[in-house]
Amino acid sequence: MDKLEPLLAIQGLRKSFGDNEVLKGIDLQVQAGEVIAIIGKSGSGKSTLLRCINGLETFQAGTLTVDHQALLHHDASAMRNLRQKVGMIFQSFNLFPHLRVGQNIMLAPGLVKQTDKITAETQAHKLLQRVGLGEKFDAWPDQLSGGQQQRVAIARALAMAPQILLCDEITSALDPELVGEVLRVVESLAEDGMTLLMVTHEMSFARKVADRVIFMHQGRVHESGTPEELFSHPQTAELVQFLSALH
Amino acid sequence: MRIELDFISVLAEWPMLMKGVAWTVGLTAVSTVLGLALGIGLAWSRVHGPLPLRAVAGSYVEAIRNTPFIVQLFFVYFGLPALGIRLSPELASIIAMVINLSAYATEIIRAGIEATPRGQIEAAMSLALKPGQIFTHVVLAPALQKVWPALVSQIIIVMLGSAVCGQISTEELSHAANLIQSRNFRAFEVFIIATLTYLMLAMALRRLLNWLGTRFLFGR
Amino acid sequence: MVDFSIWDIFRNLLLALRWTVVLSLIAFAGGGLVGLTLLFARLSPSKIVQSFALVYVQVFQGTPLLMQLFLAYFGMALIGIDTSPWLAASVGLTLYSSAFLTEIWRGCVAAIPKGQWEASQSLALSFFEQLRYIILPQAFKIAIPPTVGFLVQVIKGTALASVIGFIELTKAGTMITNATFKPFLVYSCVAVLYFALCFPVSYFAKQLERKVRRGQA
Repeated sequence: MDKLEPLLAIQGLRKSFGDNEVLKGIDLQVQAGEVIAIIGKSGSGKSTLLRCINGLETFQAGTLTVDHQALLHHDASAMRNLRQKVGMIFQSFNLFPHLRVGQNIMLAPGLVKQTDKITAETQAHKLLQRVGLGEKFDAWPDQLSGGQQQRVAIARALAMAPQILLCDEITSALDPELVGEVLRVVESLAEDGMTLLMVTHEMSFARKVADRVIFMHQGRVHESGTPEELFSHPQTAELVQFLSALH
Repeated sequence: MRIELDFISVLAEWPMLMKGVAWTVGLTAVSTVLGLALGIGLAWSRVHGPLPLRAVAGSYVEAIRNTPFIVQLFFVYFGLPALGIRLSPELASIIAMVINLSAYATEIIRAGIEATPRGQIEAAMSLALKPGQIFTHVVLAPALQKVWPALVSQIIIVMLGSAVCGQISTEELSHAANLIQSRNFRAFEVFIIATLTYLMLAMALRRLLNWLGTRFLFGR
Repeated sequence: MVDFSIWDIFRNLLLALRWTVVLSLIAFAGGGLVGLTLLFARLSPSKIVQSFALVYVQVFQGTPLLMQLFLAYFGMALIGIDTSPWLAASVGLTLYSSAFLTEIWRGCVAAIPKGQWEASQSLALSFFEQLRYIILPQAFKIAIPPTVGFLVQVIKGTALASVIGFIELTKAGTMITNATFKPFLVYSCVAVLYFALCFPVSYFAKQLERKVRRGQA
C-alpha cells in the first residue's frame, strides 16, 4: 500500500535567536490523526518548534509543509490560510478579556470565514458543550477557573475547524486539580481523530494517549518512538536522565 | 473699605449663561468624538504605520503639545484666511480643539496599545485574523479601557481650554460671561459664577465619561 | 504702507519672548513654594487642613486658567489692590502652578512604599523628621521629571496672560498681526518660538524620566 502523504512534513529545520541556535535540524513527519507528544528539558526547543509550525516564529533553514502547502513567511495571506488549518492552544490561555466566552469563540469564524452570526452562535454552543462548559456562554473569562479558561481556549481553536492542533504546555499553568478536566477534553479530541502535537510534561497522559513520543534535547530530535518504546526502553543516556529526574 | 458683591444681577442673566453652557458642551462633545477618532488613527499609525507616516504623526504630536492652545486657535481662525480658508468662529474652535485633543489622545492611546500582552496578539494571529482585524477586535477595546481615566482627564482639560474660544467670539460660556460683565460691570461676580459653572461642568463631564466608558467600552 | 520683513517681525517677537520667560519663571518658582506648603498641608494629620488643600487642588484643576486669570485681575482690583497685568498674571499663574505641582509631588510621595514610613516610624522619628530625612529625599528624585515636564505647561499658560493685557509673546503676535496684516506668517513665527522654548524642556524631562526609571530597575 502506498504510504499516505504526511499532513505535516518538516525537513532540516534550523532556527536561531540571534547567535543562539535553538533548533539544529529537525526532521519530522506527522500523519493525519496522529497524536505526537513532545517531551524534553526546558531550553530543548520544544515550544520553539511548535511555534515554527504555525508561523509565530520564523526559521532560517529547512522546509515545513502543511497539507502540501509549503510555509511562506513573507506571504501574509498564505500564513493566514495556514493558521486556519493549524490551531494553537497556549500555556497562558490568552482568552480575550473584553469579550464574553461565547464571543471569544465566535470572533474568528465571523471575521475570517465570514460565518453568519446564527451559525457561529450555534456552533459556539455546541463546542462549549463538547468541552463541558455549555452553561458558560455568557460568562466573562475572568469569572472562570484556569481549567475552564483553557477548555474555552480549546473550543475557540476548534471553531476554526483546524486539521492540526498544537498544544504548547497547556496544563503547565494550571493548579493540579484542574489539569484533569483539560486532559480529558484533549483525550476526546484524540479519540475523534484530531491530529495533535503536544508539548507536555504530563508523562502518564502522553503514555496513554500519544501514538508517538518525541524526546528533544539541545535542539534536536534525540529519540522518537511509541510511548512504550521511549518510556520503558529509553535508548540514550540523556533520555534516561530526563525520565529519572521526573520521579 | 466695603466690598459690595452683587450676584443677583448676574444670575438674572441666566439664559445667556445657559446658552454659553450649551455651546461649551456642544463644542466639547463634537471635538471629543472627532478628536478621539483621529487620536486612534494616529496612535495606530505611530505603532503600525510605515516610517514616513510615523515620522509625520510624531512631528504633529510634538508640534501641538509644545505650543499653547490659544496660538493654535488664532492660527486656525486668523492665519488660515490668508491661505483662502475662511472659517466661522465655531468651526475654527472645533478644528483647533480636535487637533489639540488628538495630539494628546494619540500618546495616551499609544501607551495602551503598546501595553497589550503579547499572548493576546499571538492567540489572535493563530486564529488567522488579519492585522487590521486584530487591531480593531482584540487590541483596541482593552487598550482604551486601560487608558480611559487618562483620556477622560484630557477631555476635561480640552473642555476647560474651550474657554479661550470666547476670544474669537465663539458664543461659549466665557464669551457669555464677558458680554454680561461688559453690560453690568460686575466683572468679579460674573467670573465667579462662570468659574463655578465650569467646575460643575467638569465634575459632571467626568461622571458622564466614566459611565460611558463602563457602559460601552468595558462591556459590563 | 510700510513693508515688514520677516526679521522685523521676528525681532519684535523675540523682545516679547523675554517676558514670557520671566513670567514663566516667576510662576514656576512661586508655584513651587506655594505648592510645597500645600504638600505639607495635604500630608498633615489635621483633616481640616488636608481638606482645604484637597479642595484647592480640585478647584484649580477643574476650572479654566483663563477664568482664574480674570478672577485674579478683577478680584484684586475689588479689594483695592492696584492691579496691573503683571501682578494679576503672576498671582494667577502662581496659584495655578501651585495646585498642579502639589498634586504631582503628592503622587510622588504616595509612590514611596509604605514600608519606608513604617521603618522610619519604628526608629522613633517624628512625622516631620520622617518626611525630611526619609520620604522627601526619595520622592524628590522621582519628582524631578514630571516637575520639569510641568514647566512646559506653565510656559504655554503664560500665553493666556495676553488676554488680560500682559505683553508677552502671544500678545505681541496679535499686535504685530494688526500692524502687518500677515496673520499666517506672524502666528507661525509665534508657534515656532513657543516650540523652541518648550520642546527642549519636554525633551529634557523625557531624558530625566528615562534616567530615573533606569535607576529604579
